[in-house]
This record gives sequence, C-alpha cells and structure tokens, in this order.
Amino acid sequence: MNYEALDFYEVDSLLTDEERMVRDMVRDWVDEEVIPNIENACREGIFPDEWRVALGEMGVLGAPLKGYGCPGLSYTAYGVICRELERGDSGLRSFASVQGSLAMYPIWDFGSEAQKNYYLPKMATGEWVGCFGLTEPDYGSNPGDMITKAVDKGDHYLLNGAKMWITNGTIAEVAVVWAKLDGVIRGFIVEKNDPGFTAPEMKGKHSLKASVTSELVFQDCKIPKDRILPDVKGLRGPFSCLNNARYGISWGAIGSAQACFHSAKDYAMSRIQFDHPIASYQLVQNKLSWMLREITKAQLLAYHLGEKKDNGNWIPEHVSLAKMNNVDIALEIARVARDIHGANGILDEYPIMRHMANLESVKTYEGTHDIHNLIIGRHITGIQAFTREA
Amino acid sequence: MNIVVLLKQVPDTTAKISVVSGRINEDSVSKWSMSPYDEYALESALQLKESTNGSLIAITCGPDRCAKMLTDAAAVGADNLIHVVHEGYLDSMQIQSLLSSAINKVGADVVLCGKQAADTNSGSTGPGIAELIGAGCATHVSEVKYENGNFSAIRLNSSGSEKISMSVPCVFAFDKGLSELRRPNVRGIMMAKKKDITKLDAGELGVTVSESEVKLISHASPPEKAPGQKFEGASSIPTVVTKLRDEANVI
Amino acid sequence: MLTIIAENTGNSLHIITSQLAGAATTLGMKSQIICPNGIGADEAAMITGVTKVTSVLGDCFGVFDSTAWADAISSSIEEGVGIILASATPQGRELAAVIAAKRNIPIVQDAVALSPGIEVTRSIYSGKAVEKILVSGDCVITIRPNSFEAAINDNAAPINTVNNSSDVRVAVQEAMAKASERLDVSEADIIISGGRGMGSKDNFSYLEEIADALGAAVGASRAVVDEWGMPHTIQVGQTGKTVTPSLYIAVGISGAIQHLAGMRSSKYIVAINKDPDAPIFNVADYGIVASWEDALPVLKEELGKLS
Repeated sequence: MNYEALDFYEVDSLLTDEERMVRDMVRDWVDEEVIPNIENACREGIFPDEWRVALGEMGVLGAPLKGYGCPGLSYTAYGVICRELERGDSGLRSFASVQGSLAMYPIWDFGSEAQKNYYLPKMATGEWVGCFGLTEPDYGSNPGDMITKAVDKGDHYLLNGAKMWITNGTIAEVAVVWAKLDGVIRGFIVEKNDPGFTAPEMKGKHSLKASVTSELVFQDCKIPKDRILPDVKGLRGPFSCLNNARYGISWGAIGSAQACFHSAKDYAMSRIQFDHPIASYQLVQNKLSWMLREITKAQLLAYHLGEKKDNGNWIPEHVSLAKMNNVDIALEIARVARDIHGANGILDEYPIMRHMANLESVKTYEGTHDIHNLIIGRHITGIQAFTREA
Repeated sequence: MNIVVLLKQVPDTTAKISVVSGRINEDSVSKWSMSPYDEYALESALQLKESTNGSLIAITCGPDRCAKMLTDAAAVGADNLIHVVHEGYLDSMQIQSLLSSAINKVGADVVLCGKQAADTNSGSTGPGIAELIGAGCATHVSEVKYENGNFSAIRLNSSGSEKISMSVPCVFAFDKGLSELRRPNVRGIMMAKKKDITKLDAGELGVTVSESEVKLISHASPPEKAPGQKFEGASSIPTVVTKLRDEANVI
Repeated sequence: MLTIIAENTGNSLHIITSQLAGAATTLGMKSQIICPNGIGADEAAMITGVTKVTSVLGDCFGVFDSTAWADAISSSIEEGVGIILASATPQGRELAAVIAAKRNIPIVQDAVALSPGIEVTRSIYSGKAVEKILVSGDCVITIRPNSFEAAINDNAAPINTVNNSSDVRVAVQEAMAKASERLDVSEADIIISGGRGMGSKDNFSYLEEIADALGAAVGASRAVVDEWGMPHTIQVGQTGKTVTPSLYIAVGISGAIQHLAGMRSSKYIVAINKDPDAPIFNVADYGIVASWEDALPVLKEELGKLS
C-alpha cells in the first residue's frame, strides 16, 4: 500500500521547490523508518532515540528559526514538516513541535546572545533535547495563575513548583520553564543536572504513547542567574511559543487525517461484503466524500495561514482558527475512518485508533478546542468569555 | 577526477500508466522520479566523489520537467548539473549521441548510469555511450571503487558475481547497488536551490537530430489476465506448473 | 539476409540462438550466424535457414568485454547486412548495444514479437504497457528468450573461422559464488508463503526447498510470525511488507484482508489450500484445493522436471 497523500485541490503544487524537496525528504524517512516501527513503539510506550537523531541529521528541528545553526526555512516548510511527521504519528510531531517551537523558539526570540549561541546549535542538531514547562497540575487553560515560583537569592534563583504534561521532559537536557518572579511570569532555562530538578515520566497514557510525557518537579531547585530569559515578561512569552507550535499543529493534523483517509479508502476498496466492496455502498461513499471535503478545506486554511506567517501578516486568532478547525476535523475523520474499517479498525494492524487516540490529546493541548473557540469569540465581539470576572 | 552520472526522469514506478488512444498518457502521470537503477548509480558516484575528492557532474536529457531531478541530485551532493533539453521521442542513436557529446564537453574519467531505465527497460545507453566515447564498459555492477589508478567493480554474472578492474575511462551500468541513495538534508536542499543548471540543446552540442527510422506505432495496456482457474487435488499440479510456464510465463 | 550473434551456455550453443533463426524466418529472411570464440559453431551450422557460420577466435574472448568483443566480431558482419539479431540476455543486450553504436544504427531491445516491416512488439514500464514500433532501416534487435519457436536442425551450413582479437579493458580479479542467502521478500520475483495451514514452523522447510528450486523468497502471514516466532522480515501483509512479485504462491493461507493488502498486486497468484472456500481463491489466478502435505511434494517434483 504505497502512501498517496490526498491533495484534491493540488495545494502542494503551490509549494516552492525547496518546500517540495523538504516534504519528500521527510515523507520518505517516515515511510522507511517510522511506519514500520511505530506500532511497536506505541505498544512499548517509547519514543525511539533513533528518531531524534534522524530529525537532527535531516536538519528539520527549529525549522523556521534563522541563524545559530538553525534551518531558516519558510513557515510553509515548517508546516509541511509537521504534516509529514504527523502522518506518521502525532507523538513524533509533538517531539519536533516542542523542540522547535516551544524550547528553541523562546531562546531564539527572548534569550541573550550568549544563551542563543550556547543552546541553539546543539538543539538544532538534536544533540540536546528541549521541553517547555508552562502547564501545572492545577493550571492548564489558565496559565496566568500558575504557582511555580522563582525567588531571587542574590547569586542564584530558587525554583519551587511542579509542571505537568510536559512532552520530552524526561529526555530533555534543556527545559524552558515559566515561573513567577515577584509575581511576574518570567522564563528560566533549567538544565537536566541542576540540583533540585527531577523529571519523572508519566505512565499509563492511552494517547501519544510513542512520546515521552513528564512532570517537571522543582524542589529548591538552584539555577544560575544567567539562566533567566531577559527579554520577556508576562504571558506574552509563553503565548508566542504556543502560537508557533499551534501553527505547526494546524498542518500536522492534516497529516493524521490524510493517513486515516488513505487507510479508509484502501480498506473500503478491498473489503468485500454482500459480494461487493464496501466502497460501492452509498453510506461509505458519503463518509469518504465528507473526509475529502474536510481535508481539502483544512489544507487551504493551513496553506494560506503559512503564507500570512511568512509575510508577517498574521494575528494569533488566525492561528487559533486553523488549529481548532484542523484538529477537530482530523479527530472526526479518525473516528469515521475507524467505523469504515469495522472491527479491523481496532487492531494496530491499521493506524486508525492510534491516530484517533493521539488526536484526543492534540485537541486538548496547545489550547483546548473550547479555548480557541472563545479566542475567536472574543475577537468577534471584543468581549472575553473565558471567566466569570470581567 | 571527473565523475559523470547519467540520470533519467521517469514516471514513478508506483504511478499508474494509462493508455489513451494508443498512446501512453504522460499528462496523467502524477509523479515523476529518478529511475531506480540510476539512484544506485548516483549513490555510487557520490561515494566515489568522496573517496577521490573528484567532481560529480549529473547529466540528463529530456524536457523541462527534468530540471527538478537534477536539483534533487544537487541536494545530495552533485557538483555540476547539465540538462540537455529535448522535447519528444529520441531513438537509441540520438540519445546516445546527445549524451556522449555532453560527456565529451566536460570530459569524464568514469561514467555511471543505471542498467536500464524504468520506462523503456532497454539498457542500451550505458554500453552505447561507452563505444561512442571510447571507454570500456561493464554492466550489471553492484559496486564500484577507485583504487591505485584503476576502477574496480563487482559485476553480476550467471554463476554469481566477479570482481573486475577496468582502466580509465570506463562506463558502469548499475544493477541493484550495495547502498540505497542517501537522503538529502535541509542544508543540502538549500544549497541545491542556488545551484545553476547548465542547459544545452542539440545545436550547442553539435548534434543534428533528424527524423528517426524508429517510429512508434502504438502503446497498449497489457492483455487482461484470464479469470482465475480452480483445480481439485494435488494431481492437478502438473497442469498448473505447465500453465505457469506457458500461459503466465512466470517460471 | 540478417546476422545473428550466437549466445552460448559455457561450451555449447544456447537454444535462444535457434530461436533467433526462427525469428529470422518470421521476417522471411535467411541468417548468417557469428559465434564469438567459436563456441557452438558446429551446432549453429545445423540450424535450418542459416547460410553461413563465422567462428571468430581471439584472446579477447577469455573474459566478457563488450567493447572488445564488438570490435573483434565487427568485421565479420557482412557489408550490406542491415539487421542484426541477438539474445536479450544480460550479455547479449550489452554486446548488441555496443555493436549498434559502433555501426551507427538504432537498437531495439527485448522484442517479444516481430513481423515484416519490421514491426517490433516489446513490453515497457516493467510490463505495465506494450509498445509496437516500426523500424524502417538498419537496426539491431535483441529478442527475449522463448518468444519464438526454435528453428529445427536440418542443415549443414559452411563454417568459416577467423582470428580477430581486440584490446581488452576488463580484467577479472576474482570470481565470487552466488550469495547463498535467500532473497528478501521485497526483492524477489517469486515468493512462496506459508500461513497457519502449514501447521508448524518446522514445516516451513518444505516451502524452503521449493524456494531454493525456484530461486524464490519465503514469506509468511502475520499469524505465523506472531504465533510461531518467525522473523518479522518475512511477514507479508498490512503490517509486514507489501510485495509485487511476478509469482506469489500462498500455501495454507486463508487470504484475510490484511494479508491480501500485502500481496494482491502480485502479477500471478497461486493458492494451495485444503479449504475450497478460503477467500484466497478469490484472488488466485490458479487455485489448487489440496493439503500442503499432498501438494508440495508434487510441486517440487514438477519444478525439478522443468530445469
């Protein structure tokens, strides 16, 4: 079953040669190295270290960042990379999103020259893995009220608190952690061996199993003064990172949907029942047709957003729309694809339920579906409807 | 050392080939790729470039769409790119004439190519070009090395394989090679973007492409397979084996 | 009148040479046969329709070197001979291409049918399409083995021996035997696969014997890979490998959709299963309802008779 990515309106014909070559490079690697191994990685609940190495060698980490050993590709290329990775698995794409948009990006945008020169080159090669510590056990959609605290002790900062749901945490050398310093949210670079820092893995997930999800625990964690990100205060810092990751996810979800569509179509053409392939029955065609429609719309949304990002002509609400829509339809497509596969759809012979379970996380992380919905509501009306207070 | 690799762009081997009104419908080809045996030749050429510090020149002959394939070759390390631009059918003499003129223009110590292209399945280009440029030739090779002024290769034969050596200049046509074509990386892709492709036409190569004495009459899809036949018992096996040999031609 | 470049198998004439003479008859032409290194000259002289055999002897024939061989035999191709036929075997094709370039005439490779004109039929795109071409002038044509009837032996053509060598550029350093490891399923042109119906992992040895006889790879369904611990590399199916051989023989495999996904693009499918209702028979070109215990020994014997 050779993979054919659904592209009904030929949106990929708009890619530049460079973007096309990057696409083919990642797609071929996913075909050769990820697809044959992903079900096993998922069963074992591991993120194969070879994938970290390969992503570094291909040079796709921190795709849109320029300088300091980073790729310097267009935002469209970054989106294409996310899409091709997530066609393989959302956990794989999460590794790259966190590394590039949530760990490398804040250092690139808000760090000192010394920090950029020290961390970015090794993160671009994948030698140092990064993670992003914002979410806490009691603070998810409401990060502003976080309780992780940093105290200035003269020659060091002392960090106390805990972060949860942190992709890459346990395998990271570098953690970009957001904590309140004198009541103001600041970014801190915590390194693996800093005293008082541990990153236990969270076990028992039914979703993103081929990805490392961790807690970050700070118990009187001492970090040197030069680890604070000097150029940012407040939620602007973490939200800029999240917007970049969300942009990549809006493309990534398409990859997951394409994988589910491809499998569903192939299955429907092969599965004979009542002497005919089930693809010949109207209700099945309705489902496939709906999938094609949603994937096509999502592709156009993502592509145009990529153009706006590359032109600098975008606002966060543009990203919210794409992330929200594309992940939502991808999850629905995965569910309907499972239905088309019948009982076979529950086996890991087919990628369907793995994608379906993964997308449950993707719908919640990086801003839940409902939060993005309200972000757009606020944009339309000027009235925030997140909280009871004004 | 000048290492020349000849590359041909063909419909991807997974693409469906459709025949319309007695002609292969090229417009319906969804994906064009480097011919698979040429990929082995290119990988070997890259390894030769690395071991000899030589210069790798990739040459193709075909219409405008072939240029992308040359850029892909640059992304994995080809130094110079030559596109002999020609639209339409070329017979074996014409294609060999164009390619050998391009090779003579740059000068080659060694020429590598695939043993046959995935579209024509002919395999005449490598040996034909060897004759035209006055080089030795070895086909069905799986590996080529350069040692002490000589090229050595592993060549397949009916009893297995043999290690051969050849003096310069020489042409090697590749069967499945030891190594798959390497993957590009972003850096290679970005540098390839900047690489110029030298475009040449028949006139600039001093070649006249006159009307060929080989003309296409028609293309057709292969005949439909007969419906499946079912047989009872092991006693039917001699019949089936005969059919496999004579009807299906698979043994 | 056309010229045939003889093909040999070690010390004797390869049957394809007689088939080439048969092809010449199809074109209404008589032939002259050139025997590199003189091999098979006596046999060639007996082929009906052959007017002359030229035996070319020379040092260069010690190793296969197409440019040297072409040079050595070139002068033996008579003036005015426009059509040259050779076998579409690996060496035949290489030599023919060099000869064509030397004589500045086009070459058409691997023809499966010919008719006067000369109309040539050949397959392209690895068999996905068929091409008919018209060659109106001088040319070299290589012909696929077993495409033409061999001409009978009822002749005594004169044999002329010449000595002609040329500089050899290929030197053999070392002969290497065929690799003994079996082919991988993803590369093999013929695959024989076993499923649960084989009963046990040990019984796969019967499949391996047949694979060795055919030069085939051995594959397996997911069920036996999971349950009997066969290597995952031989698994054919949805989560195993997708294969596209010319011939796929499925033994004791029911044909569940996951397995079919991996092999249904095979050119020809043979199924051996004792259950006449097994779904594999729906996709098989040749289905044999029999147990593997009954079928495989017979299959092995029949294949032995062929070679």
